[in-house]
Amino acid sequence: MPLLELRDVDVCIGDKKIVSGVSLSVEPGEVHVIMGPNGSGKSTLLASIMGLKHVRICRGSILFEGVDITNLPSYERAKLGIALAHQSPPEIKGVKLLDLANAMAKKYGCSDCTLLAKMLRVDSLINRSLFVGFSGGEKKRTELFLVLLQNPKLALLDEPDSGVDIESVELLARAIEGLRSRRSAVILVTHTGLMTEKLSKIDKVHLLIDGRIVYTGSPDVVLPVIFKFGFKKGLEVLRGGI
Amino acid sequence: MNWRELVLKALNKPSPYGPDVDLERYRVDEPGVEEAKDLDSPIVTAASRVGLETPKLAYVQSNERALYTALVKTLSKYGAVVMATREALEKKPLVKELVWRLVDPTTDKYTAYAYLYGGEVGYFIYIPPGVKVPVPIYTCLAITTNNTIQFAHNVVYVDEGGEAHLVTGCAIPHGVKDGVHIGISEFYVARNARLTFTMLHAWAEGLHVRPRTVVQVEEGGEYVSYYVTYSPVASIQTYPRVYLKRGARAYLASIIASSRSGVYDIGSAAILEEPYSSSENVSRVVARDESRVYARAEIEAWESDSRGHIECLGLLLSPNAMISSIPIITSKKQGAILSHEAAIGLIADREIDYLMSKGFTEEEAKAVLVRGFMNIDAPIPPQIKRQVDYILDLVAKHAVG
Repeated sequence: MPLLELRDVDVCIGDKKIVSGVSLSVEPGEVHVIMGPNGSGKSTLLASIMGLKHVRICRGSILFEGVDITNLPSYERAKLGIALAHQSPPEIKGVKLLDLANAMAKKYGCSDCTLLAKMLRVDSLINRSLFVGFSGGEKKRTELFLVLLQNPKLALLDEPDSGVDIESVELLARAIEGLRSRRSAVILVTHTGLMTEKLSKIDKVHLLIDGRIVYTGSPDVVLPVIFKFGFKKGLEVLRGGI
Repeated sequence: MNWRELVLKALNKPSPYGPDVDLERYRVDEPGVEEAKDLDSPIVTAASRVGLETPKLAYVQSNERALYTALVKTLSKYGAVVMATREALEKKPLVKELVWRLVDPTTDKYTAYAYLYGGEVGYFIYIPPGVKVPVPIYTCLAITTNNTIQFAHNVVYVDEGGEAHLVTGCAIPHGVKDGVHIGISEFYVARNARLTFTMLHAWAEGLHVRPRTVVQVEEGGEYVSYYVTYSPVASIQTYPRVYLKRGARAYLASIIASSRSGVYDIGSAAILEEPYSSSENVSRVVARDESRVYARAEIEAWESDSRGHIECLGLLLSPNAMISSIPIITSKKQGAILSHEAAIGLIADREIDYLMSKGFTEEEAKAVLVRGFMNIDAPIPPQIKRQVDYILDLVAKHAVG
C-alpha cells in the first residue's frame, strides 16, 4: 500500500481549476521532486495534500496509508503524519517561535528539539515573533525545523531553497537527508538545481505544467534535460521530439 | 462655597466617560482595619481568580475591611512601610500631605463619594530613599458581598532612588453579582525612583468599576503600569493620568479581554511636562459577545525633547462586539516627537490556516493567536511576568470561548 496516493485529483481555488487530473503514488522513504514553471500549480498541489483551507479538491481523492483523507481538515492530516513547509509562511506578531515549538513538541512528543534547533541554526530566533523580520533563509530553516518537530511520515517542502544562501541550502539538504533516513517520504517542490544536486537520492521527478503532471521520470534523465533546455523545450526533448 | 460644599456639589457630577452609575442604590459598609489571622475562603477564591496566592499577600481588603498580614513585617525588614491608609493618616504625618493632592475630590461623583463616604480604607506604601525592595508587594482588593460600594484609597510614595514592584489583584469570588468598586490611587515616584504597578482584575457581570488614578513622576523617575482585565463586568471606566518631570519615563499598558454585555472604557494619559520625558502607551483589546470597548490613550507634550508613542491594537472576536480606539497626541512645543498607531481587525484566516496545518484545531489556533496578540514586552520583573503570563493564558482561553 502506498503511503500517499492521489487519484485523478483536480484542485480548485474558488471557481478556478488550478490542478487537473493529477495521479501520484509515494512510498515510505521515497523522495519525489516536483518541478515546473511559476504558476503551474505546484504550491496548490502541496496545499491540497495538506488540506489548507484556501484550496478545494474538486474532483478525485487523496489516500494516506489507505485512508481517504480528501475531506479531512489540515490538523487531522497533520496528526496522521503529514507536514508542510510553507513557501511563504505568515508573519505572526507576538507568537514567539519558542511558544509554537513548545506547543508542537508537546503535541508530537519531540525529544531532540534543542538539537534540531541548533542543527538548523534557528536557536537564535527562538524568542522572536514568528517570521517577523526573518530573512529568506531564516524563514525556510524555521519552516523545516517545524516540519522536523512533527516527525512526519510525509514531508511536503514547498521551495525550501528559494531565496536562500548556499550555506542554508546545505543545511536544508542535510535536514531532508535526515528525514529520509527516518523513512519519511518527501515531496520537494523546487525551481533550481541547488537542492537536487545536494540530495544523495531522488526517486522520481515530476514535471507539472499548466496544472498537469506532464512527465515523470528518474532524476538522472529528467534533471539534466530540464536544467539545459528549460521546461517547455526540455519536455519536448524528454518526449523524444528533438 | 467652601471645600466641603464643592465636594457635595460634585456628588451629582457624572463622569464624561462611561455609563453613569446610580450610587444611591448601593450600601456603604462601616470601614475597619484589622490584622488578618486567617483569610476567609471568599478572599482566597477571589485572589486565586487573578493568580494570587494568599500567603504572599501583604495587604488585603475585603469590602470595607482592611486586613494586613504578617508579610507587612517581612517587608518592613527591607524598609518598606505597608499599612492601611486610614491608619497611616493617624500615624504618619506625611500621609496627610499626600492624600487628595493628586486626585481632586471634585473630579466627578465617584471621587466625591470616595472623599465623603470612603472612610480612607485602602493601602499606604512608603519606600524610603535608595531602598530597592527585592520582592513584589502583593495586595488584593476583594468584594465578597452583594450590593455594596467598595472604596479603596491607595497612596504609594517611592522616595528618591527607591524601587518597588506592586501587584494588586482586584477580584470577587463567584456568586457575588453586583456592586461598585471605586479606587482612588495617588502614586508618587520621586527623583530617580522606580515603581512598577501590575493590576490583575477579575470582576463579575453586575459590577461597576471606577478607578481614579493620578501619578506624579519626578526627574529621572520611572513608572510602569500594566493593567489586565479579563472577566465580564457591567462597566469599567478609568483614565489614569501620569505627569512626568525632566527625564522621567512611563510605560502604560492595558490588556483588555471583554465579554458579554460589558462596557470597558479604559484609557491612559501621560503629560510630558518637562524636557526628555517620555511615555509609551500600549493597549491590546480582544472583544467578544456584545461587549463594547473604548480604548483611550493620550499623550500631551508641554516641552521639547520629549517623546511619546501610542499603540492601540484590537481584535474583534464576535460579530456584535465593538472596539473604539481613541488615541490623542497633543504637542505644545516644537521638538517634541509624538506618534500613534491604532488598528482593529479580525484574526487573520491565513494565520489560522497556517497553525492548523501544524496540527492545531481551529479553536487552538485562535487561542495561540490571541495569546500572541496580547504579548507585550512590558518592563516588569520576571516573577511578575510569569504571573501575568499565567493570567494571559487564561485570558486567551476565555477570549475564544
